[in-house]
Amino acid sequence: MRKVRAIALNTFSGLVRNKIIILFCAACICILLLMLTSLLALRNMRGTQNAEMMQMAVLPLIATMMQFVSGFGSLLAAWSAADAVAGEMRSGTILAVLARPVRRWQFLLGKFLGVQLMMLVFVFLMLGLNYLLAWIGGATISTNPWVLIVYPMVRYMIYSALGILLVTVMHPILAFCIVLVMMIAAGLVAPGNPQTFMPDWLRTGLFYVLPSSNLLSETHFLTITRATLRAALWTDHATALVYGLDYALVCFLLAAWIFRSRSLSRD
Amino acid sequence: MAVVIEFQHVTKIYKRLFSEEKLAALSDVSFEMASGHVCAFLGPNGAGKTTSINMLMGFFFPTSGHIRVFGQPPGDLIAKEQIGFLPENFAFHKFLTAPKLLRFHLQLAGRNPDGAGTLIADLLGKVKLNGFENLKVGKYSRGMVQRIGIAQALLCDPQLLVLDEPTSGLDPAGRREVLHLLAQLKAEGKTIFLSSHILPEVEQIADHVIIINRGKMVRAGSLRDLLASGGQVEILADRVPDELRQSALRGASIEPAQNGVRVLVDAARKRETAEALWAAGCDVIAMNPQRNTLEELFLKEVDQPGGAP
Repeated sequence: MRKVRAIALNTFSGLVRNKIIILFCAACICILLLMLTSLLALRNMRGTQNAEMMQMAVLPLIATMMQFVSGFGSLLAAWSAADAVAGEMRSGTILAVLARPVRRWQFLLGKFLGVQLMMLVFVFLMLGLNYLLAWIGGATISTNPWVLIVYPMVRYMIYSALGILLVTVMHPILAFCIVLVMMIAAGLVAPGNPQTFMPDWLRTGLFYVLPSSNLLSETHFLTITRATLRAALWTDHATALVYGLDYALVCFLLAAWIFRSRSLSRD
Repeated sequence: MAVVIEFQHVTKIYKRLFSEEKLAALSDVSFEMASGHVCAFLGPNGAGKTTSINMLMGFFFPTSGHIRVFGQPPGDLIAKEQIGFLPENFAFHKFLTAPKLLRFHLQLAGRNPDGAGTLIADLLGKVKLNGFENLKVGKYSRGMVQRIGIAQALLCDPQLLVLDEPTSGLDPAGRREVLHLLAQLKAEGKTIFLSSHILPEVEQIADHVIIINRGKMVRAGSLRDLLASGGQVEILADRVPDELRQSALRGASIEPAQNGVRVLVDAARKRETAEALWAAGCDVIAMNPQRNTLEELFLKEVDQPGGAP
C-alpha cells in the first residue's frame, strides 16, 4: 500500500503543477466569471422585480453554471488520468518507477488514486462555489452536502478510469476526444432527452454501454429550495452509486489487464 | 558462481500495427552473466542494446526466447528488489528535489523513508550532489541528472546494477568519478551490467564483454581473452640473422629495438618463430602478447561486412 500511496501522492503533486491542467482550469474560471456577471446583474435588479420571478431567473442560471463546472470536472478527470499515465511514458519516468518492485496494476492504481485526490479537491471547490452562487443569488441550498460530494466523485471515477483504459492503447489526446464523444452521447441517450435522430435500438444499446451521466447526476438531488426538494430513498442512492463504482472498476480492471502486457516505450 | 542474467535465444521483432513491416531488433541472442562480474554490453547505435536492457527489466517482452534475472522472469518483484536500474537518458519528476526523489524511490521499493535522511545524504555525497538538496531536479544540468540517476540506482543496495550509458552527459571529471564508483562497487562484489559507447572507460572496469550488432551477438567472453585473441606476439631477440628473415620470419614485422630486435608475429606463429630464433643461436629476451584495445576489437567486429554503417 505504501507504494500505491507514494505513486498517488506523486501523481497529485504532478497534476497540480501540470501546465495544461492549470490552463484548462484558468479557462474554466474565466467562463465562470463571465457567467457570474449575469447573476450579479440579476442580484442588483432584486429591488425592482418580483421576488418569485427573481428566484425563477436565478435558479436556472445557478443550475447552468453548476452543470458547466460539473461537466468540466468530468473532462478534467478524463484528461488528468490519461495524461498522468501517458506523461510518465512520454517522459520515460515510468522506467525508473517500474524498475522498482512495483506491479503494473499498482502503478495504474496509484495514478488513478492521485487523480481522485485532485478531483476531491475540485469537488470541494465546486461545493463551495455552489454555496457561493446560491448566496449571491439570494437562495439557500437544502441538499445534503454528501450528495454533492459523492455523486460527482463517482462520476469522475468513471471518467478517469475510462481515460486510463483508453490511454493504455492510444494517444492521450485521442483518448480524451473519445471520452468527450462518450460524454455527449451519454447525454443524448439519457432518458428524458427529446432527441429523435437516433433509432431506438441504438439509443437503448448506447444507454447500456455508456456511463449514465443522467443516473449519476447530482442535479437530481441538487435542490435550491425546500419546495423543490426531492426525497430519495437510500436504495436509490446505493443503486446509482454502485452502478457508477462498478463501471469505474470494470474500466480500471480492463486497463490493468491491457497494461500488464504493454511495452513501456517512450511515445 | 550463480547466474544472475540469462538470455536464451532471445528474439525481439517490432511490428507496426496494421502493417506487415517488421524490424528484428534482436535475433537469437544468448548469453549468461555470473554474479560479481562487470559485464559491458556494447554495440553501435541501433544494435539492440536498449531493447535488450528493456526486456531484461521487463519493460518489453521478447517475441521468442527466455530471459531470467536471478532465476526469475523479468519484471518479477523478487528480481526487481535486487536490481538498481539507470535508464538511458534518465528521466525524473521535475518538481521533486533530489532528497524527495530518493525518498519517493525508497517508498516504491517498499521501504520506510522515515529515518532515511543519513542514507540519502550519504548517497548524494557519493554522487557529489550535496549542497543541491533544495534545488528542484528540473533545474539540474544534464550531468547532475545523470548523477541523481546513479544515486537512485544505488538506493537500496542492489546486488545487480543495470546501467544504460551511465557516463552519458558527464564531463571528464564526472566520468572518472562514476568509473571510480563502479570500481568500488565491483570491489564490493556487486554485479554490474552496463552499456556504454566510451570504450576506453569500459575497458578499465569490465571483465566480460558482449558485443551485439544489428540485433545479433557477434562476440562475447572475458575481456582478457577477447583482447588477447587474434592478436600478435612481440618477440624480443638480441639479433635476427638475415637467412631467418627470408625463411622462418617471412611476413613478420621486424624492427630494431633498444636491446636488440623486435619481431611481431601472429600469436599462432609465436612458438614456431621462437624455436627458429633459438635454433639459429639467437637469444630470445622476451615474448609479450600484444593486446588489442577494446575499441579496436569493437571496430573490427562492427565494421565487418554486414556490420553497422
